[in-house]
Formats: sequence, C-alpha cells, structure tokens
Amino acid sequence: MAYEEREDDDPRKAISINQHYPLDSNCYKILDEIGKGVSATVYKAICIPMESSVVAIKAIDLEKSKADFENVRREAQTMTLLYHPNILGAHCSFTVNTSLWVVMPFMSGGSLQSIIASSYPYGLPEPCIAAVLKEILCALSYLHDQGHLHRDIKAGNILIDSNGAVKLADFGVSASVYESSLSSAMFTDVTGTPYWMAPEVIHSHTGYEFKADIWSFGITALELAHGRPPLSHLPPSKSLMMEITKKFRFSDHYDKTKASKNKRFTKSFRDMVGLCLDHEPSKRPTPEKLLKHSFFKNCIGLDHFLIKNVLQGVPPVEQRFKSKSSDEDDEGDDDSSTGEIVEHGRISGWSFNGEEFELDPVFPADDEQVVIQERGNEENVEGCYAGSGSVGGAAVSLLDSMLFLRESLDDQRQRVGQVIALLGGHEWGETRREEQLMQEILQLSDE
Amino acid sequence: MMKGFFKAKPKTPTELVRHTRDLLIFADRSAAPDIKDAKRDEKMVELSKLIRDLKHILYGDSDSKPVSETCAQLTQEFFREDTLRLLIICLPKLNFETRKHATQIVANLQGQRLQSRLIACEYLEKNIDLMDILIAGYENNDLALHYGAMLRECIRHQSVAKYILDSDHMKKFFEFIQLPNFDIASDAAATFKELLTRHKSTVAEFLSKNDDWFFADYNSKLLVSTNYITRRQAVKLLGDILLDRSNSSVMIRYVSSRDNLRILMNLLRESSKSIQIEAFHVFKLFAANQNKPQDIVGILVANRTKLVRLIADINPEREDEQFDSDKTQVIREIAALELNQ
Repeated sequence: MAYEEREDDDPRKAISINQHYPLDSNCYKILDEIGKGVSATVYKAICIPMESSVVAIKAIDLEKSKADFENVRREAQTMTLLYHPNILGAHCSFTVNTSLWVVMPFMSGGSLQSIIASSYPYGLPEPCIAAVLKEILCALSYLHDQGHLHRDIKAGNILIDSNGAVKLADFGVSASVYESSLSSAMFTDVTGTPYWMAPEVIHSHTGYEFKADIWSFGITALELAHGRPPLSHLPPSKSLMMEITKKFRFSDHYDKTKASKNKRFTKSFRDMVGLCLDHEPSKRPTPEKLLKHSFFKNCIGLDHFLIKNVLQGVPPVEQRFKSKSSDEDDEGDDDSSTGEIVEHGRISGWSFNGEEFELDPVFPADDEQVVIQERGNEENVEGCYAGSGSVGGAAVSLLDSMLFLRESLDDQRQRVGQVIALLGGHEWGETRREEQLMQEILQLSDE
Repeated sequence: MMKGFFKAKPKTPTELVRHTRDLLIFADRSAAPDIKDAKRDEKMVELSKLIRDLKHILYGDSDSKPVSETCAQLTQEFFREDTLRLLIICLPKLNFETRKHATQIVANLQGQRLQSRLIACEYLEKNIDLMDILIAGYENNDLALHYGAMLRECIRHQSVAKYILDSDHMKKFFEFIQLPNFDIASDAAATFKELLTRHKSTVAEFLSKNDDWFFADYNSKLLVSTNYITRRQAVKLLGDILLDRSNSSVMIRYVSSRDNLRILMNLLRESSKSIQIEAFHVFKLFAANQNKPQDIVGILVANRTKLVRLIADINPEREDEQFDSDKTQVIREIAALELNQ
C-alpha cells in the first residue's frame, strides 16, 4: 500500500517543504479566481520569494465560521497531517485580516467535475475512469487507515495537475475517528453533498462509518461515466427528492440522452460500482479490496498518459471558472452552497440498478419512515405518503407523465428559478422554495 | 504461562509493548542518523511497525473492533514501566506516519481503565514533568500538532490540568495562540480553552488566585491584539468563562473594573459582526450588575446615547429570541441609570 512504501522516506520531507512557504500575505500575488463557495474563494497565485512558483490559495471567510473555529482548525490540521501523493495537502495556513489563507499546490487541470462539464458532458471513457478511480482508492485507503472519513467524495473534489497527478481535495467536512470529542467511530451529523450521500448517512440516526465514503465513491464512478451524478436532474434538495421518489419511479434517465444512448460499460465496471452501492454498509468492500478488483487490473502504468489525454483540449481552469461564473446555473458544483441545503433536508432511499447502470429511487416502507428533524417547521413528509413498498396504480399512471416530464425538467427548473426570483423566494427560506417547486412540478404534471 | 505451546501465535499485547520499549530505548540512545546505518534503520522500521500494531489493538481496524481485555493488558504493561515517557521523548526520532500513530496511542491510553482506575492519570501525576515536554512542543513546528493533541487528552485529567494552570506555562499560551502558523496557533487556542473551561472547580480556583495578572494579560495581549482571530476567540472565551456559574465571584470582580469596561466597549464598536455579538455577551454583564461601582455608572451614563444606538444595531445572522431579550434588557438598564452625586 502506498503509505508503506513511504515509510523509509525522510519523515521531515513534507514538513521542511512546508516551512519554506512564507506565512505572510505580502509574499503572494493573486492572479485569478478559480473557485468560489459560500464561505471560501480559491485563487491562483504566485509565491514571490519561492521563484514565483504557482500555488492555489483557499481564502476562508472566518466571519462565517463559528467562534471556536473547530471546523477550520480540523480542516487545516488534516491537510497538514495527511501526506500522500493522492491527497491535496496544504503548504501552510495563516490568517489575513478576517480570512484564513490555506496555501496549496496549484492543480492546473481543475476538478474532474469541471473537466466533464466543459469537455465531456456525456462522461469519460472507461479506461480514464479506471485510471482516476484507482488513484482515488489509494487516497481513500490511506485516509481510512489514518482514521479519517472524507465524507464528500465526488468529481468536484477530485483534482488533476498538469502532470496528470490525481488528488482528492477538500477536507472541509471530513472527520477523524480519533478525535476524542467523538465517542466512537460512528457519526451522526449530516454532512456532504446530496447525490453522493450514502443512505446510512442520510438516515443518520443509525450513524455511519467508513463505508459511507465507499458509497460516495460508487456514485462518483457513475458521475464520471454518465457526466452527472444519478438523480441530479432533480434539484439538490433531499426533502424534494423524498417527495418525488415516494410517488414516482424513474427508470433510466441517462439512456434518454443521445450520446450516452449507445454507451456500453464493461461488466467489470458495472460489477465494481454495484459492490460500492450495496445498501448494507458492511457488505461494501474496503478500498484495499476494491483496488484488487478486475476493473483496475488493466490501468497500471497508463494512468498519467490517459489523464493527460483527458486534459488535452480542456480549457485552463481559470478560464473554465470564468465562463462558469457568467453562467447562471452552476448548481451542483458549489459544494459550500449545496452543503448548506443539506443541513435541513431529509431523504429517500435508492438502489443500484446494475443492468441500467444507474441508481433507482426506492419507495420507503412504513417502518422506515425516517425524518431528520433539524428544524421544527418543515413540511410534513409522512402525510403525503400512502402505500408501503408497493407501487400503486396511481403511481404507475403517473409514471408515464413523469417520464415525459423528465426531459423537460431542466426547463422547469429554470422556470421555477424565475418564479422564485420574481417572488423574492430567497428570503423565504428553504421550506417555502421547496413547496413552490413541488407545486410547480405537480402543476406541470397535470397539464 | 504456556508460551511454548503457542509459538505460532501472534505476540501478546504485553510482549508487543515490551519489545516496543526495548526499541524505544535503542532509539533514544542512538544518535541522529548522519551516516546510513543499516542496522539502525532496520530497528526503526521494526519500531514503526510495532507502534502501528499497538494502535490497531487499541482502536481496532477495518476487520475488528478493539477487545477490552487485550487493551487492558496493553495498558497495564505500558504503565508498568516508563514506556509512555519513552514514546513521548522519542517522538522526534520517529517518522512522519509513526508520529501520528504514537500520538493516537498516547491519546487512547488516557481513557483506558484498569479495575475502573484511570491508570494513565496516576502515572502522569508521578511523571508530571512530561507536561513540560508536551507544552514546549508548541515551539517546535515539527512536533507541535502531535504534542498538542497528546496534551489535550492529558488535561482531561483534572490533576494534570491543575498542574498546568498553576504553572508558568499559562503565560506562554498567550504567545502560542498568536503564532503565525494557523495550525499551531489554533491548536494552542483549543488547548487554552480546554484548560479554562473543562474542570469547573479547578478553573474557579485558578482564576480567583490569579485574576490580577491573568485578566491584565488577557486584556492587553488578547482582547486588543491586532490579530482578528485572536480577538474573536478571546472575547468568546471570556464570555464562556464569565458566564459560567462556578466563576461568579471572578465575574463580579471583572465587571467592576472600568479598564475592562473600556476594552469591551471598544470591542462593541468593531466592524466584525461576530466580535460585536460576542462582546455584547460580556458587556451585558457590566450592565446587569446590580452593584455597579460609581465609575462604571459614570462611563455608561456618559456614553448612554452612543451605547444604546450601537447595541440596538447588533443583530445576529439568525433570529435569536434570547439575544433580542438580552438586548432590550440591557438598553432598558442603561437608559434607567442615574448618577448618584
């Protein structure tokens, strides 16, 4: 395993490199904005005293953090204490007025999510997926061995540098099982980005462990294969997802899209993803086991070559960011903002459909009506739900109209967005917005 | 013991700890590896592996949960001799990954019980100088986070926290939490906060014995620091300390000082909303004090209009009924003040 190979390395190597980076904002010159979330902005910059080497600086707005800075401290320390070729570490971090600057290596290729969005809308070729995922498994293997959960694995957090090196990034919501404030390896807070979240994370009353990362890894595989995560044609709100998946069943969304229509995936790929998306966390394989899966057998040595191929013709990361920011609809990429929605959401179930190579929503049974109540005034979910597990006649007839609707869902979302903007919906809060979305969708289905 | 029968069996926890101890003694004595020394390297690799194994016994791994009986054996052997001390002082000689394992072992051992006794606590009371080593770690970039994490676990023991509170180390924390390296500064801040909030009676005793120098330093070094994060953390912690019931006599003394009031009034005027809000939580104690000294009343009356306007404008991001009602009460209190000539 990767960390063992590094046992003989000079232990201070990583640290002495860190010490060279100055803890003074005057030593850095910011060139471009390359990413933006609710409480942080990422810049491309140069470090002047270090021969103007290029770095990325994540500037976290501390006014938006809680006063004990526990999360910020944990993220910064995690990035210092993790040292692995497939994990994006930090050179150093220091405060600049009311911001925390985390200086990191610059990953010129940007995130796989943005690469796909700009150049591979229908997903990456399978050998490239294997090459990327293999690197991520190495990162996960190391991470889990260190007692860390990443808790937000997705293409948006997989970065590539100019050499084709693949690194897992963003430890903003990660957790350590060794932190004494956590009594055991089970966590009960809801964190992450909705589409990639494992059922047991969402049904957080049961707690979750390392296997939740494996689920997200499986979803990420689907995301790379199809160009978007499953169910992502729905807005990233779990409560809305719940409403819809309770009533309707989506069959394959993807094969409707032209380019992926004839896309075939190998059996070993489908099998690998299937293992990750097992509903029973204990049955999901460990990263080490996955690395031995036949899907990863053939990508040895080809990694960098393939990834460089992926990068060819993709516009530079700062350009992609600019064109994205001028685009209004950048939902799904902004982890900070989607993460916020997650906080007061709730969930449905879903299961992996190996044949169709995607995720199907599952109707919750009566005895597993899970409601994560973080806010008292949210809409009542149980009330709307009628049968347990069986698809009633009404649902079947609705299925047809939903299949039709699905194609225009993006249009609908834009329309809803306009309605919300008109009504000043942002100030009304999440509940209000979701109600409106539901009304819109139901109205449309009557048409 | 029937060792002979079980040759193929993996080593017992006791044996593992003994072997680790032998290698730690070796590591402690051997000089820094200037020249390539194959034999030494071999032993260090073995030591790394042993430390890793010990960690897995204590925490379990992906296949197995920790077994309490095995953990107990390991703990017993660890504290029977001076293995804990050796592990701490040899940390600089271990490689990057092994340091983390060692830190996790030290942390875990703090909570292990033998016949319901916290054996680590008893050990540390007899070896309290180990705390001096851990605290000095904040001055060493390579060791700070490891020693810092160990330290925070150790001060869960009340007697250990008391030792540090009563020592000169407390003064050093005022420097540590302002170090430019955020990783280290924030680690020191977390430890500082733990020391001043965890063990109520010990903290109250420390504050009442030391409140002259402590709050003077707290004001001059932290609350008026040029560093935003220092000011914000300090005013939050001050609120936590003063609002704690067990520190009520310290609180009464604090809110009777005009110097303290001046500093808090300046914090109320900060452009940072977060600092304003935290400062209000301390300021309200000055206003709520039913036995305000005349000079305090004098300052409040002289600044009445400005204060009322300032406080009325402080609004938390999220709606907070308690905050609003506190605000109303403070404003009412200030408005009703009269100077007794």
